[in-house]
Amino acid sequence: MTIIFLLIGISLLVALLFLGAFLWAVRSGQYEDTYTPAVRMLFEDEPEKLE
Amino acid sequence: MPLTAAPKPSTQVACTHCGDDCPDEPIQLTGQPELHFCCHGCKAVYELLAASNLCGYYRLDAQPGQRVKTVDLPGRFDYLDLESVQSQLLAFRSPTLARLTLTIPQMHCASCIWLLENLFKLNAGISESRVNFLRKELTVSYQPAATSLKDVVTLLAAINYEPQITLAELGAQPHAASRRLYYQLGVAAFGFGNVMLLAFPDYFSFTEGLHAAFGRFFGWLSLLLALPVLLVSARSFYQSAWQGLRQRYINLDFPISLGLTALFTTSVFDVLTQRGPGYFDSFTGLVFFMLIGKWVQQHSYDALRFDRDFTSYFPVAVTLLTKAGEQSVSVKELQAGQRIRVRHQEIIPADAVLRRGAGLIDYSFVSGESVPVAKAVGEVVYAGGRQVGEALELEVVREVSQGYLTQLWNNPAFEKQARPTLETYANHVGRYFVALTLTLAVGSVLYWYPKDPQMALRAFTSVLIIACPCALSLTTPFAMGAALRVLGRRQLYLKNAAVIETLSRADTLVFDKTGTLTDTQRSPVRFSGLALSRADAQRVAALVSQSTHPLSQRLAAHLGPTDFVLEEYAEIPGQGISGVVAGTPVRVGSAAFIGTNPPAMAPTEQQTRVYVALNGQPAGCYDIRSQYRENLPALLRELGQRYQLALLTGDNDAEVIPLRQLFGAGAELRFQQSPLDKLAYVEALQQQGRRVVMVGDGLNDAGALQRADVGIALTETLTNFSPACDAILEAGSFGRLATILRFARDCRYTVLATFLLSFCYNGIGLSLAVQGLLTPIASAILMPISSLSVMVFATLLVRYAAHRRRL
Repeated sequence: MTIIFLLIGISLLVALLFLGAFLWAVRSGQYEDTYTPAVRMLFEDEPEKLE
Repeated sequence: MPLTAAPKPSTQVACTHCGDDCPDEPIQLTGQPELHFCCHGCKAVYELLAASNLCGYYRLDAQPGQRVKTVDLPGRFDYLDLESVQSQLLAFRSPTLARLTLTIPQMHCASCIWLLENLFKLNAGISESRVNFLRKELTVSYQPAATSLKDVVTLLAAINYEPQITLAELGAQPHAASRRLYYQLGVAAFGFGNVMLLAFPDYFSFTEGLHAAFGRFFGWLSLLLALPVLLVSARSFYQSAWQGLRQRYINLDFPISLGLTALFTTSVFDVLTQRGPGYFDSFTGLVFFMLIGKWVQQHSYDALRFDRDFTSYFPVAVTLLTKAGEQSVSVKELQAGQRIRVRHQEIIPADAVLRRGAGLIDYSFVSGESVPVAKAVGEVVYAGGRQVGEALELEVVREVSQGYLTQLWNNPAFEKQARPTLETYANHVGRYFVALTLTLAVGSVLYWYPKDPQMALRAFTSVLIIACPCALSLTTPFAMGAALRVLGRRQLYLKNAAVIETLSRADTLVFDKTGTLTDTQRSPVRFSGLALSRADAQRVAALVSQSTHPLSQRLAAHLGPTDFVLEEYAEIPGQGISGVVAGTPVRVGSAAFIGTNPPAMAPTEQQTRVYVALNGQPAGCYDIRSQYRENLPALLRELGQRYQLALLTGDNDAEVIPLRQLFGAGAELRFQQSPLDKLAYVEALQQQGRRVVMVGDGLNDAGALQRADVGIALTETLTNFSPACDAILEAGSFGRLATILRFARDCRYTVLATFLLSFCYNGIGLSLAVQGLLTPIASAILMPISSLSVMVFATLLVRYAAHRRRL
């Protein structure tokens, strides 16, 4: 049953990873503008003008 | 004779750029007959974008542009070259890169975002531009070696996204949204989730073997996981409770902190003495749910600002006239006695005497009056007006901060901290809660101690734990948060959720007149003079539709679209406009401009006259009057049944009779009120113990709006300036004011009903606690059920109230 110590350790590690990902997302400002990025990703690159 | 030019159904082509109707012979681009433009301004923007291969702008949204209205003025942005201005505007500055954030209220669609983020194609010196659409902000980075701030702003103005650069932006810190709540929520969710997993073995009897082997380990691990929740997430509750205590005031966060502390210390004690697993799952869950409550309540309208004062409206720089010539200086440095020049569409920054030029000053931001006021040389011009017409020369009489209008902000009402907020119900209830809890806790100790000292301690902590008013603390955020969203859909935008509670307890409504009760968009136009034929009226329409003057636009809207083509258009600022329409010379403007004598009966203050001449012969004049808003009588009658009404206006008492009829006999009507008088009146009402809602629109109401318990600023367009207030109401929803106030009262009852529900849970918990029966499992079941049901109940009740009120 000592394997439970290891399993809990691993599960906590995964959880910490997700916590870290969330904190990073907040830190990088992803929760400050929840509208513009959704629009921005739909913009297409302009075809180059033929000279 | 009232002139009725029936508006024709529009069969015209829409401008490719802005979507306005084009004149009958639209302006076209050579080689591209499918494109039509309503004016040369729109065409110029199109050409500029086409040259840089930016026509994707027109594909994302149909006709996304704004009609190009403002006339380019040389030297308009010269002040941006000033070192002092630059150093305050730029957020980052190095020889190779400069960065700043500009507010652009005009952005409204996906095309705007696309164009503004492709600025680097229009100006090679710009390295990056990023839009924050919700806040209507643009962050631009540019290379100072290749371009300048002035060039960037001029470019933005040229494509008609002129940024708002006002006195308030100088020295302002870049807007940093609070990320703290997100951090706290993340940590609490992490702690809650993991502690709950570890607590599972305790919930089920078949895992007893597991518990025997690992109970101690799980206990310690839970303690470790709950520690960051206590230190990071629960911190704001302790801080708020401590702040309240320091002001000798017990708020709802005090019993919460008490409960949380009891919960945590009991759990630590249990783990240390190996008596059990503790209540860490309840503890982390409570903190998590209460933070969700805070988050729901925090909903805010990013693009709206509720804290604006005159500095958000006043310009950054002004043209100073010195012996050496014109010079751009910061408005803050302006001193009495100096001479300044104010051009067309510029704002008068300080009280001054007019020295040269014909003043025609638009005070719509100050008083709500849309019709510009004429000023002659030698008259005093108050700060805040916008000159329409030729350039003026003014001599400054008072410094900016000492002006007739601006000294309003020196009043103590504007010292934000000093203003006591109305106590919310939750805090009020919180105080009784503390008293009751402590009595019960001490009572149970006294009861148990002689029999079983161990049990006494347990009952004491149990009472403190279960009495933690977590469900209670969730009622207000969820009810008010839901109400905030309902009202937002109906164009009433509140600064925060607490405003609803204050609104529901108001008993006095104070209105401003001009711009609030009167509708500047709907002022009726009446023609008097010779009978104008339909064709002549259309000729006048063709002329006025070319002018950007507010009176011309009002007339153009009244006369409807026209088929005539205008030639030889000329505008003499401050006097009038002239042109030739279908061979007939037409002149529209002041009496002197037309060459006629004003009639003996002078127009009243509410009435403005525009004279018309056809073929050089005076034909008559248009009277433009101010008009009360639609449904005003019904609205005021309904409000008058419940509220004490009052009216404050800067105008004279010419309209006293119709106003008395509207407001009824009991209402107080005050005329010729200065901005400071309005503030003092609201203050006097409050000293009589009244709870005042002020409804106003202009800068001259700013003091009263700030002083009132709830200040509602009315606005025609949301992006426009509105003074500091607690709520912003779109003018179109003004007729709903009575319903909104009733809904606010409904919300209060919702909160009270939800209080009862949460008290039931506390009652059940307490009955368990005083008997010493509160086990970790009982607490782990009761806590989430009470929290969740309170959230759902509060939200549903508010939705139902909104549905019933048809909001």
